[in-house]
Amino acid sequence: MRILIIEDDIEAAGAMSHGLTEAGYECVHAPDGEAGLKEAGKGGFDVLIVDRMMPKKDGVEVVETLRREGDNTPVLFLSALGEVSDRVVGLKAGADDYLVKPYAFPELMARVEALSRRRETGAVATTLKVGELEMNLINRTVHRAGKEIDLQPREFQLLEFMMRHAGQSVTRTMLLEKVWEYHFDPQTNVIDVHISRLRSKIDKGFDRAMLQTVRGAGYRLDP
Amino acid sequence: MRLPRLFRTTPFRLTLLFLALFAAAASAFLGYIYVATAGEVNRRADAEINREMESLEAAYRQGGVNALNQTIVERASGERPFLYFLADKTGKRISGSIEASPLDDFEGDGPSWSSFKVTEVDLDGAEMRNPARGVQERLAGGEVLFVGADVAASEGYVRKIVRALWGAGALVILLGLAGGVLISRNVSRSMQGLVDLVAAVQAGDLQARAKVRGARDEYDELAEGLNDMLDRIERLMGGLRHAGDAIAHDLRSPLTRLRARMEVALIDAENGKGDPVAALETALQDADGVLKTFNAVLAIARLQAAGQAPDQQSFDSSELARDMAELYEFSCEDKGLDFKAEITPALHIRGNREFIAQALANLLDNAIKYTPSGGAIMLRARRRSSGELEFSITDTGPGVPDEDRARVVQRFVRLENSRSEPGAGLGLSLVQAVAASHGGRLELAEGPGEYNGMGPGLRVALVLPRVE
Repeated sequence: MRILIIEDDIEAAGAMSHGLTEAGYECVHAPDGEAGLKEAGKGGFDVLIVDRMMPKKDGVEVVETLRREGDNTPVLFLSALGEVSDRVVGLKAGADDYLVKPYAFPELMARVEALSRRRETGAVATTLKVGELEMNLINRTVHRAGKEIDLQPREFQLLEFMMRHAGQSVTRTMLLEKVWEYHFDPQTNVIDVHISRLRSKIDKGFDRAMLQTVRGAGYRLDP
Repeated sequence: MRLPRLFRTTPFRLTLLFLALFAAAASAFLGYIYVATAGEVNRRADAEINREMESLEAAYRQGGVNALNQTIVERASGERPFLYFLADKTGKRISGSIEASPLDDFEGDGPSWSSFKVTEVDLDGAEMRNPARGVQERLAGGEVLFVGADVAASEGYVRKIVRALWGAGALVILLGLAGGVLISRNVSRSMQGLVDLVAAVQAGDLQARAKVRGARDEYDELAEGLNDMLDRIERLMGGLRHAGDAIAHDLRSPLTRLRARMEVALIDAENGKGDPVAALETALQDADGVLKTFNAVLAIARLQAAGQAPDQQSFDSSELARDMAELYEFSCEDKGLDFKAEITPALHIRGNREFIAQALANLLDNAIKYTPSGGAIMLRARRRSSGELEFSITDTGPGVPDEDRARVVQRFVRLENSRSEPGAGLGLSLVQAVAASHGGRLELAEGPGEYNGMGPGLRVALVLPRVE
């Protein structure tokens, strides 16, 4: 998997690139908007990580240009601007996700993972299947190894998101954003409580736990 | 040449304009008075001359030129104030009180008017040339009759009126000008106060205020408006400065702790002791804590500085309250708390959804954090009879003593008995900032009282103004 990092802060880009390389990604760094556009034009990237405020061409301009040229590579915006209006500007420009600086590396990793597999998992499906777990999106039922699991609507949404990102780390912030659609910073363990409820429903009575806690990051649904 | 300052002011220019209009109106008025009085004086004199002429003509018609002559002689020697002159066809004087007719033209038939001067000798022998007026007519027999009158007295009267009118005109202009200068100077002086204030503020003196004279006029209104604005700016500046101090103060200790821990970890690692990975993990947690505090302080400062929440939109706050209830319900259950939500449907609101969600989350966080197991928490969203929206969270925790209620919403204020709980003391400050930035307020009151041996509890209400 190849990632293009368009970021003018060399050190931040270096740390990011180091972390992602350790995780098995191949990273290319472009120090400003123009260089980034040129590099992206060569193609072959799975995810673009774009800083918003950069010399020569800012991130919004870069993404808009790419989208105009028909480039649909998933883009993750990185920005110190975290207000809702800033996110809206970023997402409207054509970005797929938005992460506010400063960020925790596991958060970045989780989001990059989610984006890099977006195209594979984004297909329209009526059922989702992860290991023994089967979700029917039409009649909204869930079975594990043939045994029906009764879920509340929100638990269903939560599990659906986890299944669509099976095998990937998903952070608490991502869950609050994607499942509840709120962007605030929960001070307490509210999300963990919901996950632990979900876990008790899908893992209880089975010898293997599918819902894993990822230390320092969040959760992962393993097949 | 530059005009003196006073003459360049708008009020003075307006004064001049009004003065011109005023003068025009005064001239029309005075002109009318002149026509009505002076004209009337002359008309009356002419009417009397006419009457005398008619009575003489009557005498002529009855007794011919001799009877007329007789009458003229009688009248001329009498007390009547008229001048007479009678001449024959050729213009030769027959009789009269004057030697010659002031009108040399004897050709005309109709009455012919004239103004002239008569020379009179008064008792002291001094000669006086008085204005006079008269009419001359040719009688049926061809004789010429002139009747006139000395109008010195009435002309003098008219002159007096004219003089009085000129005087009045001059007075009007003088008074108008003086009044204009006075008013302009007053207004200029008031404006000068505001100009000085603006200059002072621009020079950096935020404590300067405009003087309110208590006249309740537009100047006072402007001054009050400016003062309100300056109060607000000063408060905001104070808030920003306070936020800066608070950040510096509250971040300094965790940052120092973080630094110390890393130093110790480094020393231990060099000596082959300890677990550097564990140390790094703790450091990371500390850093996250610092970031959280920083984000919260920044959000509060931004809200306070903006004065109004950004990105406001209309949305159904009942839905938001239900979301929050659902989000926190399980946390309550986990802690052994009884959770209940009473939410009036379709409470539409205009505001920043994220901030209001954050505020409710903070309140619920607090309630869960401080309510001991076995207690109860109630979330309520409703419309007050005043039309305001109220989101209240009631718990059965230890509550907040009356005297501390104003204090707990301040940044970084934590009550003694909450020191053991995690947190930076920013939760309520943020809720307060969210409330203020939506034109609302935060109300703290005693909770339901004794509950399960606990209490008195706390009732926190986020009150937002009604949407028009």
